Amino acid sequence: MESIANDYTINIATANGTGSQSANLILLQAFFEMGVPVSGKNLFPSNISGLPTWYIMRLSDHGYQAPGDRTHIQVLVNPATWAEDLAALEPGSVVIWNENAKMEMNREDVISYPVPMSSLARKINPKIAKLVTNIVYVGVLAQMLGIDQTALESAVAKQFKGKDSAIELNITALGLGRDYFKDNFTKNDPYVVEPREIETPKFFIDGNEAAALGCIFGGVQMLAWYPITPSSSLAEGIINYIPQLRVDDEGNATCAVIQAEDELAAAGMVLGAGWAGGRGMTATSGPGISLMQEFIGLAYFAEIPSVFWDVNRVGPSTGLPTRTQQSDITMLYEGSHGDTQHIVLIPGTVEECFEFGWRAFDITERFQTPVFGLSDLDLGMNRWACEGFTYPDQDMDRGKVVRDKDVFEAFEEFGRYLDVDGDGIPYRTLPGSGMDPILYRGTGHNPKGVYSEKPEDYFNLMARLKSKIDGARDLLPAPILREETECEVGIIYLGSMENTIEEIDDMLEATGLKVSQCRVRALPLHSGVQEFIRRHETTIVLEINRDGQLYGILRKELPNDLITKVHSVAYSDGMPPRARIYSDRILSTLKEVNQ
Amino acid sequence: MSDAPARPARTVKLNVINEPKDSYTGGKSSLCPGCGHDQISNVIIAAAWENGIEPHRIAKMSGIGCSSKTPAYYLGQSHGFNTVHGRMPSVTTGAYAVNKDLLYLGVSGDGDSASIGIGQLIHAIRRNMDMVYIVENNGVYGLTKGQYSATADVGSKKKKGKINTTQPIDLAALAINLGCTFVARSFSGSKKQLTSLIKAAMSHKGFALIDVISPCVTFNNNDESMRSYGYVKENEITLHMADYIPHFNPVEEVEVPEGHFRDIELHDGSTIRLETISDEHDPSNAVAALTALHEAETDQKHVTGLLYFDNTKPALAEDLGLVDTPLIDVPADSLRPSKAILDQLNAALLG
Repeated sequence: MESIANDYTINIATANGTGSQSANLILLQAFFEMGVPVSGKNLFPSNISGLPTWYIMRLSDHGYQAPGDRTHIQVLVNPATWAEDLAALEPGSVVIWNENAKMEMNREDVISYPVPMSSLARKINPKIAKLVTNIVYVGVLAQMLGIDQTALESAVAKQFKGKDSAIELNITALGLGRDYFKDNFTKNDPYVVEPREIETPKFFIDGNEAAALGCIFGGVQMLAWYPITPSSSLAEGIINYIPQLRVDDEGNATCAVIQAEDELAAAGMVLGAGWAGGRGMTATSGPGISLMQEFIGLAYFAEIPSVFWDVNRVGPSTGLPTRTQQSDITMLYEGSHGDTQHIVLIPGTVEECFEFGWRAFDITERFQTPVFGLSDLDLGMNRWACEGFTYPDQDMDRGKVVRDKDVFEAFEEFGRYLDVDGDGIPYRTLPGSGMDPILYRGTGHNPKGVYSEKPEDYFNLMARLKSKIDGARDLLPAPILREETECEVGIIYLGSMENTIEEIDDMLEATGLKVSQCRVRALPLHSGVQEFIRRHETTIVLEINRDGQLYGILRKELPNDLITKVHSVAYSDGMPPRARIYSDRILSTLKEVNQ
Repeated sequence: MSDAPARPARTVKLNVINEPKDSYTGGKSSLCPGCGHDQISNVIIAAAWENGIEPHRIAKMSGIGCSSKTPAYYLGQSHGFNTVHGRMPSVTTGAYAVNKDLLYLGVSGDGDSASIGIGQLIHAIRRNMDMVYIVENNGVYGLTKGQYSATADVGSKKKKGKINTTQPIDLAALAINLGCTFVARSFSGSKKQLTSLIKAAMSHKGFALIDVISPCVTFNNNDESMRSYGYVKENEITLHMADYIPHFNPVEEVEVPEGHFRDIELHDGSTIRLETISDEHDPSNAVAALTALHEAETDQKHVTGLLYFDNTKPALAEDLGLVDTPLIDVPADSLRPSKAILDQLNAALLG
């Protein structure tokens, strides 16, 4: 049998709350330490204990990071999904299953490795047998695939940093799994793992922790948050790093953290901090942004710097709280009642989560308007390979704040909302300074900040706000372009689709198409996006949602002659994007267009 | 050119920091003539002036409603923020987190505080957020033309409409139950008492709630209303006469009462002197305060004075564990860790 190295997908079906996450992360880390390009997707339920969880690991020498179209190796531990998982397998797949689960193995067209995982685990310690069961299947896989013992042990040590007894117990359990496979089976499947040379050392980190670090290096001064999946670990990341990175010699912090009573209060606190001259932020998900809408409008209208991170989950309503989607684009871009338009930064990698983490504060203070970071569950909660974070290439930009009496007095005329420089961005003074004390308000106001219902005051204010945001377009992170010389088909996409685009591109190019890519990294859209569309014969806007929200924004903003060149491919089922689904849909859309 | 001698300058009374009272006034009120809220605005001006607070070190905070418009009418040299309905406490909390050295003076109404924003009020109390929080409480929604609010008393009748039968929310009782560290009730017509209470609240570190019955002359000042001027004047039970003795001048203007009195020291060294009227009320006794409120409610009366006081609880700033310098004054190099630190972090992550 010809062996298949580093090109397959492993699906591990367990119940959550049983400790399977740490076992799966050990396996993932062990592949990673062998230099094998690997990605992991945790499909977990909205529940603490007992519901089905799947962990999908894709090994790919191509570097493909999507979950893949099929499972090659299935680990069955959870009786609840047993039949369904088994039925979904293609003939020839490998099944490693827990013999003690008292479930039927009714497929004869698969390669079956029954392992009494629970009784092996009980041998080590009956009290924690459930936890140890998971490590046993890692040991079985290690033996079956040929994972280096050193890589495995190093992964265990990383997972249980400094907890010697846990490390020892896990290594023993791994050995039991390995031995069981060795003693009871002759390998009759083709799957192996081969070490690869590590050219650039990398580490695994999830997008939420990366964004948290970015915020810390952005000088965040106040974090107000309300726990919500999948953003909690972003806020908790900041909280965890403060004692290490943001305290004085006596341990006093330079960043306040307040766990708010709800998302409305969290947003209010962010505005309060921005109004007072500080760098305030919150992290939430779609339902939280829904609740924050009123304050978002106030921040836009009263021009208060404020940073909101939205780690997108599946909506509408409570939706699928632990699944991924790109469905908050429109809500962020046009958030709150009345005419509004907001700046949205959209990272596609963990490096960008870090970068946009600090940049968001500079941008919000520069433009005196709310700035959103739009991540999603896939990017935020799964681990991605990272070469390291790049230090900010510019000093903090605190924007147009008048801090000095001399500077203040040099103004011919001062008004909080007076457009002195013609860029739509006015100057502000801070509470406590005694300079230009005004009562900020969400009601209509004139350039001096005084209440006004005059038609010209309202019209001019709204026109200035529009020009201010328009002026940001080309100063925000530019789109990333990968262009073919032929300019046949262009794909516009955003965010975590970055992790699937290469595979989609390969699938499309296998049909003979020449495909260029444009990854949007901010709203309002950079002028480069429009130029990309103009250069290409046909453009597809690819999104993980139902309605094509980014497509909708393009339709609204593009000149008429370009609108017909742009087509939407939007699909979402809650899963991280699988390349085949999107490439098929792109192909059928192109077919319709060309008819 | 006139040879007439220059007119001698009019003597302007200055406060302890040499500011005239004019430095504390604001714009012209646009509320209905005779509104109780305007009396409270005047008391705020007097209290801030007499306390000698630098006007620009005050932050005026409000929500939405008639009461929340009033920050435009006092302290014109202070920055302010007229936020959204009921959400002033959270905005104030965020501002305080980055600049704890300002005096946060919140003004709210009964719609703001007892309905849409009751959650934020409760949580600001729970955190012992360091602010003065004045509720200008008239039992009706004024700006939307006279609907009952959640503080309307049972049996009370506004100018138009039926007698209210829905149980009111007593914000003072609520605050005492929550462990609020300074709880008072007053009446916009009791200028002397209200001035003392606001001055004392300004000297308090922690959440100071002053629930002020402030009649709505347009929608709720008829004889059948239990929040009209006439009704409150006749049915007010004053727990004690209150006098405020500032820390910078502890002997001036203090009338030594003939009967019993109790001095309560505030965080900045000032004193509020409570002269008992009838039965002695001990403001450190939450149960006594709740009893007084309950008995007054049963008798359809309003009890006023400093109901409850506790100076032992830490204010929010202590809980936040921050550096002494207000965060907005912390230099950039303390906010952004160095490149060397990021390099170390990258190395540690690489393992």
